[in-house]
Amino acid sequence: MASVPAVPEGEAAHPPPRPADAGFRRWMRSGAIVRWLGFTGAWIPTLMLAFILVILFTKAWPAIQINGWGFFTKSVWHTGNQYGKTVTSHGITYVEGQEYGAVPQIVGTLETSAIALIIAVPVSIGAALVVVERLPRRLASVVGGFLELLAGIPSVVIGLWGVLTFGPFIAKYIAPVLTHIPIPFFQGDVGHGQGLLVSGLVLAVMVIPIVASTARDLIRQVPLLPREGAVALGMSDAECARRVTLPWVGSGLIGAVVLGLGRALGETIAVAMVCGVSLGHVATNLYDAMITIAANIVQNLETVITDPLGVRTYAELALVLLVITLLTNVVARLLVRRVSGTALPVGRGL
Amino acid sequence: MAKPMRKLLAVAALAPVVVLAACGSSGSSTPTSSPAAGSSGKTTISETGSTLLLPLISAWQVEYGTLKPDVLITTSGTGSGTGIADAAAGTVNIGGSDAYLSPSETSQFPGLLNIPLSVAALNINYNLPGVKKPLNLNGTVLAKIYTGKITAWNDPAIAALNKGVSLPSTKIVTLHRGDSSGSTFLFTSYMNSQAPSLWSSSNIGTTISWPNLPGATAETGSGAMVKGCGAIKGCIAYIGISYLSQTTAAGLGTASLANKSGKFEQPSTSTINAALATFSGSTPVSGSQSLINGTAGYPIINYEYAIVKTKQASSAEATAVKNFLTWGITSGSTSKYLTPVNFVALPSNVLTISRNLVAKISS
Repeated sequence: MASVPAVPEGEAAHPPPRPADAGFRRWMRSGAIVRWLGFTGAWIPTLMLAFILVILFTKAWPAIQINGWGFFTKSVWHTGNQYGKTVTSHGITYVEGQEYGAVPQIVGTLETSAIALIIAVPVSIGAALVVVERLPRRLASVVGGFLELLAGIPSVVIGLWGVLTFGPFIAKYIAPVLTHIPIPFFQGDVGHGQGLLVSGLVLAVMVIPIVASTARDLIRQVPLLPREGAVALGMSDAECARRVTLPWVGSGLIGAVVLGLGRALGETIAVAMVCGVSLGHVATNLYDAMITIAANIVQNLETVITDPLGVRTYAELALVLLVITLLTNVVARLLVRRVSGTALPVGRGL
Repeated sequence: MAKPMRKLLAVAALAPVVVLAACGSSGSSTPTSSPAAGSSGKTTISETGSTLLLPLISAWQVEYGTLKPDVLITTSGTGSGTGIADAAAGTVNIGGSDAYLSPSETSQFPGLLNIPLSVAALNINYNLPGVKKPLNLNGTVLAKIYTGKITAWNDPAIAALNKGVSLPSTKIVTLHRGDSSGSTFLFTSYMNSQAPSLWSSSNIGTTISWPNLPGATAETGSGAMVKGCGAIKGCIAYIGISYLSQTTAAGLGTASLANKSGKFEQPSTSTINAALATFSGSTPVSGSQSLINGTAGYPIINYEYAIVKTKQASSAEATAVKNFLTWGITSGSTSKYLTPVNFVALPSNVLTISRNLVAKISS
């Protein structure tokens, strides 16, 4: 076929493409495409965030008006009797008896993330230090590889493990020990492997690989010279890590922790499986059933999906989660600025 | 040459149906990959919704697939709410639901039908290995258990209903569904119907704020309720009757529940039929009716519904949906299909109502 030079009649309407002319080639070479792509690429994330915020806000607006400030002060979640009377206000018609106060979910989201970070941050940084400074190179690469593999485990798998194995194990062996701590929050019925503690621990398992692998890459970048200097001054390994290595990458470490926090705040399915789903009250001890915003959305959106107020309330909930995540990010950025501005004890001029 | 070739192609085209059907009978869901109808002369009917209804729909799917090879049926257990929403949006042909459409849904989505398919029941199960005789329970005691007013199995209120049974002092652990569930709706409706002062009507629904009880546990899906209750001594749970063989295998007891006349009944075909007889005469032409707390028979029963849009995307789909539903409520409602899931067939007057509703489907 290729040897036939004549253009078939059917294609006469579509002339063959002209060879790229000089102008086009110059335009290609000038980098305009790259610039254009870069420009678009830079704007897309910004526009997406704005788009999501605007859509969520407009969707949620009637719910924001109807739920009012009670949404942030009450601990109640009544989806209403779907077979009850309907009322119309603020432009939507919905069944009466609905009442929404998201305090347990907001508190639950923050509590589980806090537990996860309290456990994950020291463990991750310790692991990263050991991998970089202590382990022989070959073993370090194996351990590092496993850390990254751990980060890649789908959260639903971790949730399954949490609900079938890890939760019951904690309830049977770990929680009874914790109840001896003389703080009221640590005392109470340890339950059967669902609740605040297990949710926090499951999140920690998911956060550790993220923080640890980032911290490892950061610590690797600390030059040898200042560390040698520290040892020469007679510092112990621990002192060297605390006074030289970690401050050197302090802002980066905070960035790593923020990454982990983002994962913890937004993690959905694993928490939904082990939290115990308690929509109406804030956990009174470490083992109580609880709920996070994300877990509530995935578990119960279905109930209200055909109710105009209910579905808008879930939009409001999503908006709250988004704002919490954005706020923590902003706070973390401020922290990073502070740390990198003044807290570096070691001169950078090395 | 051409003929065997065509045969081979036909077998190849059938293979996915057989695979899907096999999945449907063993697992809880089958993928809802729905290629556009007509591309291979096949019509695809998709169903999503109630997990209580799923075992029956899956059995129908297997049988119907062999009867009508030109119709491909996909099913998926997503929960009743999603079933209704998907059917309303037109993304699926049939939404499976444990509950009829609410007035607010009917006004939002005119042209959406709820067609009774079969009659199901909800069991109250408990894990008390020492207690062999089925326990008697009523809505008042259940409401007190689920609000934490009764915390041990040998509570006087439970003992009063079970004279002569030696009850252990085991602590009661309440299980409830963590996900949105038609079972939760039926269970809370029963408690409210029997004990409105203890269980308010604002706490009826597929998702509710459960009172905070120490050790209370939430499970996702009926299967997880069976598993969770089997693992916790002293637990109490509400599980659809289609899981009866599994709850029995897990060593769970099934409570006899008080009906409106105060008589305690075990869930069975005869008690479901007895309860049905008190309601079915008054089932409206729309098919929407609550069957909770009847004066006779087992008190927590319900119609399982197919939620269908009157106007289907094409006449081929409309015909296929009509034929499938008609087959389901007639040939599909024999003991061969209903006994394994412990459902009961529609009474004849409700069957007529369902037939009339099916006849409204068009394109």
